[in-house]
Amino acid sequence: MLAGAAAIFALVMVLLALPFLRRGKDAPEARGIKVWIIGLGLAFPMAVLAALLAYGLTVGERLLPRAEDGAIRVEAEGRQSGWTFRYADQPGRSTSGVLHIPAGRPVDVDITTGDVIHSFWVPRLAGKLDAIPGYVNTLRIEADAPGDYAGVSAEFSGIGYAGLTFTVTAHDEAGWQAFLGDDPQ
Amino acid sequence: MNALQRHRRLTTIWASDPGLRGWFTTVNHTDLGRMFLMASFFFFIVAGILAMLIRAQLATPHSAFAGPEIYNQIFTMHGVIMMFLFAIPTFEGLVVYLLPKILGTRDLAFPRLTAYGFWCYIFGGTMMLVSMLLGIAPDGGWFMYPPLTGPLYSPGINTDFWLIGITFVEISAIAAAVEITVSILKYRAPGMSLDKMPIFAWYALVTALMILTGFPPLILGSVLLEVERAFGFPFFQADLGGDSLLWQHLFWLFGHPEVYIIFLPAAGVISTVLPVMCRTTLLGYGWIVAAAVALAFLSFGLWVHHMFTTGIPHMGLAFFSAASTLVAVPTGVQIFAWIGTMWRGRPELRMPMLHLLGFFVTFVIGGLTGVMVAVVPFDWQAHDTAFITAHLHYVLFGGFVFPVLAGLYYWMPHVTGRKRFFRLGEFAFGMIFVGFHVTFLAMHWVGLLGQRRRIPTYAPEDGWTAVNLISSVGSFVMAIGIAMVLIDVILNVVTAVRGTRNPWGAGTLEWAMIQPAPAYNFASLPHVTERDPLYGTPDMALRLARGEGYLGEPRRDWRETVTVDIASGRPDFHVIYPANTRLPIVMSAVTGLFFLSLLLKAYWITPFAMAGVAVLAWRWVWSLGRKEDIGPQAIGQDITVPHAAQVARAPGWWGSVFLLTANATFFGSLLFGFAFLWTVAPGWPPTEWLPASLWELGLGLLGAALAPAAMHGASRALRRGGRPRLGLALAFGGTGMLAVSVGAMMLHTPPPVEHAYNATLFVLGGYAMFHVTLGALMIGFLAARVRRGYASAARQSEFPIVTLWIDYLAAVGALALLAGHLPGLLA
Amino acid sequence: MRDVIRILIAPLVWLAAFSAVYGLHGLICGHGITGTALGLPLPRLLLLAAYALAILLQLALLAALYHPRVSATEGFTRFVSRATGWAGLVAAVWTLLPVAVTSYCG
Repeated sequence: MLAGAAAIFALVMVLLALPFLRRGKDAPEARGIKVWIIGLGLAFPMAVLAALLAYGLTVGERLLPRAEDGAIRVEAEGRQSGWTFRYADQPGRSTSGVLHIPAGRPVDVDITTGDVIHSFWVPRLAGKLDAIPGYVNTLRIEADAPGDYAGVSAEFSGIGYAGLTFTVTAHDEAGWQAFLGDDPQ
Repeated sequence: MNALQRHRRLTTIWASDPGLRGWFTTVNHTDLGRMFLMASFFFFIVAGILAMLIRAQLATPHSAFAGPEIYNQIFTMHGVIMMFLFAIPTFEGLVVYLLPKILGTRDLAFPRLTAYGFWCYIFGGTMMLVSMLLGIAPDGGWFMYPPLTGPLYSPGINTDFWLIGITFVEISAIAAAVEITVSILKYRAPGMSLDKMPIFAWYALVTALMILTGFPPLILGSVLLEVERAFGFPFFQADLGGDSLLWQHLFWLFGHPEVYIIFLPAAGVISTVLPVMCRTTLLGYGWIVAAAVALAFLSFGLWVHHMFTTGIPHMGLAFFSAASTLVAVPTGVQIFAWIGTMWRGRPELRMPMLHLLGFFVTFVIGGLTGVMVAVVPFDWQAHDTAFITAHLHYVLFGGFVFPVLAGLYYWMPHVTGRKRFFRLGEFAFGMIFVGFHVTFLAMHWVGLLGQRRRIPTYAPEDGWTAVNLISSVGSFVMAIGIAMVLIDVILNVVTAVRGTRNPWGAGTLEWAMIQPAPAYNFASLPHVTERDPLYGTPDMALRLARGEGYLGEPRRDWRETVTVDIASGRPDFHVIYPANTRLPIVMSAVTGLFFLSLLLKAYWITPFAMAGVAVLAWRWVWSLGRKEDIGPQAIGQDITVPHAAQVARAPGWWGSVFLLTANATFFGSLLFGFAFLWTVAPGWPPTEWLPASLWELGLGLLGAALAPAAMHGASRALRRGGRPRLGLALAFGGTGMLAVSVGAMMLHTPPPVEHAYNATLFVLGGYAMFHVTLGALMIGFLAARVRRGYASAARQSEFPIVTLWIDYLAAVGALALLAGHLPGLLA
Repeated sequence: MRDVIRILIAPLVWLAAFSAVYGLHGLICGHGITGTALGLPLPRLLLLAAYALAILLQLALLAALYHPRVSATEGFTRFVSRATGWAGLVAAVWTLLPVAVTSYCG
């Protein structure tokens, strides 16, 4: 996308520079309209944009959570004071500031808020999704490898906004079982 | 009468009051346009200083420059001032100054309204400045999402300043939009048919229509949120049937068109200045008009792309993603039409052209990143990061500030009558251009590295330190450039040598007058036969000064002009403008008192302020009346036209049409909000509906049928020389029936603080009640007119205006009643 | 005024249709409408019908703008109104295309 944008930008810049070099001859308006308006103004962007839109919709469609593939379900609740996470596989268990997930498996995060609007964002795992009062929004994330992934709140939420961060810890299979086996205190 | 005598005579008629007093009583568009522009540039500097504070804060990690309490106010006010107190007023100022001149007439349609709008802007802007100086400025971000800005999480007065101050300022935008629309459609030089209109006027027309339909959703949102904050009506509280997403819809329903409301006037400047800089005419005039119209409409179908991360189903997002890509097409048409124009002509690197090149480079980049964020998956990452901040600055600075600077240098000789002497401008442009790109290219980069927007500080380990420092350095270079432009302008205004008329060799009519412009613009009005009249008639200025056009002979102390038929440009009515008056500033002060009473929660003052506005408005309209008929007026060239007071579609009628368009959009947004909460919000249906009553509903609908029918009858009776009194009395009775019915509905509505349904119904009732009161006042006004002998079969133009308002009131009254009673009846 | 309306009508109708289809989509997802008809899921069918209607409306408008009795008499308005007519049609086809290709309530 970046390369395409750069190419288009370069094209426009060249077209912009040329008239300063070639001393213009008053071409008939009809020809100018055909070249500049119909060709470059209408046909060219429409072709590029149609391709881009098709690409965007396809990718967007692929990122949607699907009910059938047996993903792990967790719950993330945002508050101005921090994020709390709960686990469907272990009812009653909750963690603050750290979300534990298994690596290599799809996880659906049900995002809610306890006060104002927040946004759940782990840049390396997925795009962001808002936590909105009265709604449960579900985001599909998947960590390829075990490790810690930084997450942040990405919707301005007042005074403590800058510090509203959390970590996603992805465990390998053994670690995940160990986490589930811990005493839910 | 020779040219000099004519000039002196017209100047005595049109001049503003001398001295300081003139500043407060002027209704002249040249004065007010300059005042608008000065004020808006002042706010630009203020917001620019705030931007410098932001960059100072972010230049280093762990910055201790400002704590989050202050920092949140700084970035909020930066956005708010730039958007509402700089960008829109700059458009208003430019258009107020330029439009009558470029259209070949003497003033805008409603001179006192221009002044009223200006003072509302000044008072509202002052309110915002005061909040900042006291350290209690809005701090919820410029788009103010509840519930963060709701009563629970922002109990302070900060948010109220935003909601009330900005709504006050919006009055000036709506006033200007009504005025601009009517002026462009009706107040043009004779002969200027739609296809001969300068392209700038087309852009201004499209922008004005967009303001009329784009701002009402924001005003509605502000009203609802303020009512929630002040009285606890839960419009945006999920647990009581409200929905915070409603705010986002209303806000962005305004907010996206707003971007194009800012861009289109700038595009108008480009389309005007660029061909002159290239010694040619614009390529594809008709195409550009069509593209501007298409752009305007498409921009209303983009608002949800600000809400891609709110969890709306993918198909919903896809609609807006598709529309957001499509909007690039009409933009592309305009860009390439401009480049094609350059290829046709011989571009010269004069001062305005430099800024136009700055526009091309910057705006194209902004457009390309805009297309990127229109792609949903990309936006899921980029949303709410510094990438977005950078993108929007490319669009707004590129698409607005550069063209405005081009316009500034282009029209400066027109305002001052001087030739640019000091050559600071070129250097300033270089600083601004380089500074801007360094600042915001760096900001794109740091956004892609994951820096969120609106964070007051960051840690060294984030790895953003160097990029942020570069960005801050760039911003200071840019600030120095802006300061140099300011110095350049001041130096050239104060000390430069007198210039020649029409220094750029332009073809549009604003150059066919003395510079600086005289108060009356044209000593006689031109007859237009082509799009660039000065190319065909280079001595136009001289001929007009000699009185060879229309209305060349000043009569009595009349400020005269003619209006034209919308499509053909044939002269149709004769208009006498009101003269200097203090009424606008007094009325906007009283309007300010109304808003202030709400802000300070001194509700006992509110009814007095409202009554004050009503009394002043009554005087305002009353003073236009005449006790004797004005016959048809000769306007020169052997043409005689009727006076505007004698026609069914007077300027006031057109103004009402467009004000009601905005009003209907407001009401439509309210109905949309009702339907949205009903279908989407959690916590519905409410526990109880309004107890429906066929009797109350019937009475109201009967009133809604009676009032307009009787008004039409009264109007007809007057036109035929009969007595309108019976019709007026019946119409008054009809509004009374509506009042009773609506009042009963509001009384029977369950407590509004308990559920959003009750609250919405109550607001619907309040809206209808307000219009019923207004309608009753208007009918009373007509009755007083008839009684005092101000109305006759010839002086009939006020009747159709009131009829229009009564039609509207009947429609909204009936709809409000149906929305209230139907659910109960069906349940 | 009639000329101004000729210029504005097609994009205005597009805007109304666009908002209406978005509203219909919200209604379908908000109320969990299900079932099938004619071999298609009912929501998809409803949305496709609305899509077709929106396009038909635009085609009708465009035809009217080319019809000698309705179209503007003056060359310039005729051109601009037809151009915005085409813009309305393209916008209807382009922006509502997702009803045919994306999943509706996911």
